[in-house]
Amino acid sequence: MIKAENICKDYGNTRALDNVSFGIRNGEVIGFLGQNGAGKTTLMRIMTTYLPATSGRILVDGVDIARDTMMMRRKVGYLPETPPLYMNMTVHDYLEFAARLKDVPENQIRKRIDRVCYECSLDDVRNKIIGKLSKGYKQRVGIAQAIINEPSILILDEPTSGLDPIQVQQVRKLIKNIEMQRTVILSTHILSEIEQMAERVFIIKEGRIVKDALLEELLKEYESLEKAFLAIVGYQPHG
Amino acid sequence: MDKIVAIARKETTVNLKSPVSYILMCLAIIVFNIFFFIIIDENREATLRDMFTLMEFLFVFIIPLLTMKTVAHENETGTMEFLKTTPTTNTAIVAGKYLGVVIYFTTMLALTFPYYVIIEVFANPDRMAIFAGYFGIWLEGLFFLAIGVMTSVWTKSQVLAAMSSYILILALYFAKVGTKYLQGVPHDILSFLSVMGHSESFFQGLLTSSDIMYFISGTLFCLTIARLSTENRIWK
Repeated sequence: MIKAENICKDYGNTRALDNVSFGIRNGEVIGFLGQNGAGKTTLMRIMTTYLPATSGRILVDGVDIARDTMMMRRKVGYLPETPPLYMNMTVHDYLEFAARLKDVPENQIRKRIDRVCYECSLDDVRNKIIGKLSKGYKQRVGIAQAIINEPSILILDEPTSGLDPIQVQQVRKLIKNIEMQRTVILSTHILSEIEQMAERVFIIKEGRIVKDALLEELLKEYESLEKAFLAIVGYQPHG
Repeated sequence: MDKIVAIARKETTVNLKSPVSYILMCLAIIVFNIFFFIIIDENREATLRDMFTLMEFLFVFIIPLLTMKTVAHENETGTMEFLKTTPTTNTAIVAGKYLGVVIYFTTMLALTFPYYVIIEVFANPDRMAIFAGYFGIWLEGLFFLAIGVMTSVWTKSQVLAAMSSYILILALYFAKVGTKYLQGVPHDILSFLSVMGHSESFFQGLLTSSDIMYFISGTLFCLTIARLSTENRIWK
């Protein structure tokens, strides 16, 4: 169970998050939907403990993540918007490095690498240099590092950003496969992505959660997610 | 400790696969070799004292090139976000990065060891003076590397990281020159800070606890600042 209580984040005089509160049950797949700059990435970074909140707190299973950052980091798998890859390393070396940093027991590292390579369809490229892979493969390597410690919470920031349509489908299929039995938090501004993958949606506008609803309810109320999003963020097309 | 080793190992693996690392290492050794033969030919003495002085000067310029990438590159490419969202402490990140460049630097220094072998074969050198010199130049290198890692933490730009570490290392290196123009406490402070004042005794074969402590405490100070800066991320 993840519970956020009145999270605020300021960058100088700019308030990026303003009193954000929510609760996420174990196993839920949540979509963070919002325009660029709405505060999705900031919220995710706070949840991964990469950034501290200016005020407020996030509790995971009752424990404040700011007080026990290592506990949260052990539970979380995180894919930032730009996959955090070392271009000179091979896929295998990188995943081994990630496994060591994420406290995967020494005797399980090889097994875990085999498993994530299989799950993310990386078997053909595991000995290749990451810098020479296509964007789609790089994204899969980023997802593989995020799940190598078998996290109970998976946070994915714009996982299909910059991919071509086929790569987008491949990555979405991969995420659908790995989201079983995990809490998944997915950030995107692509509406179809949320429709295909999320069961609950947080619409974020100017640092606030302006709507927290089940996808099903939104679709019932507004016919489509696009209409729901535009109505909720208050977008008025001209002409 | 496992994570420090994992990060250092990753740094070494990346260095082993990077042509730039080999080129820098080769260039440094070629320059050292040329000066070794010039110095031996000129002095006709079975000592490496002048060689150590020259290496010290060249390390002022080489070490920022080794360290500029260590953390600045992670800040630039976003991989720092990966490191900092794994259960790895900031201390382990800084220590691992530092150990990675120490391994590279120590390898570079070890490649100059044949100079001692050559002198040993053809003459009867003061071995203790040579070993003290090697120890001194290694300690001084560790200090310079710590300065380089510290400045690399401060920025996303490798160029800025290198420039800031050049400024700091050159200031410490040439501090002795400034002592001529000062008196009293400022003179004493500048004399204490000057690296040349502390390295000379090693090159003469003298091991003094104050000189050893100078380099060790300087190294620890810079690594502590680096660790604190990693936490407070002033490049944001």
